[in-house]
Amino acid sequence: MTNPLIQIDDEVREMTDEEYAELKIIQEASNGITN
Amino acid sequence: MATTTNYGWTTPNDSDPFKNGASAIRTLGSSADTTLFTALGGAYPGLRRIKSQTIGTTVSSVQVTDAFSATYDDYKIIISGGLASAGSVHLLLTIGTIATGYYTSGVYQVATAAAQTTYNASNGAVCYPGFLGNQVYRHEIEISNPFATKGKLMNSRFANYDNTNSTGGSAYIVNISATSQTYFTISPASGTLTGGRIDVYGYSKS
Repeated sequence: MTNPLIQIDDEVREMTDEEYAELKIIQEASNGITN
Repeated sequence: MATTTNYGWTTPNDSDPFKNGASAIRTLGSSADTTLFTALGGAYPGLRRIKSQTIGTTVSSVQVTDAFSATYDDYKIIISGGLASAGSVHLLLTIGTIATGYYTSGVYQVATAAAQTTYNASNGAVCYPGFLGNQVYRHEIEISNPFATKGKLMNSRFANYDNTNSTGGSAYIVNISATSQTYFTISPASGTLTGGRIDVYGYSKS
């Protein structure tokens, strides 16, 4: 299982576990904000 | 003394001594500098593009560095031309290292709906400028004071198309953090982003 991709300017790479954990936190926080 | 045709900038005569060349160039350069400054309305007038970033393929997060500086207080960020893997999901945005204290007030209307719908988030870890589309989307975000040591203010307008529905809306965002930030990060609330471009412009303040 690979982590999602993060892009920093032109560099694209796999997220570190820490970066992926931070992304999941903000994505989960948005669950209550619906369209 | 010879002068230029349109603005009367002083230029050396053919017979002037060679030793006065440096002074003549300095005078001509200063004249051009002054005329440009006056004609354009400042050193960095109007709306000036600072950075253009192409979005990659199936990326879950895009960070745009060196977007904010002391040169400008107000910026416009346009994100367009790409698509999201999932329809009708929020665009998430953070300013630099600020990871708390975002207040979002948003409203949108699906084109087939009779009424508008509101959304909001208080003291969030991220802000919500609008929704992404899995066929097309566009976000136009204006932000004040990301680099300045003052609270941050944003407003956004967005439009998207998902499967069968078109949605348009706007959002107003506040973060009272007075920290100075140089970059921003966007992510979809789920899925990935592919293609399109992020352009950052600065509004002149001089």
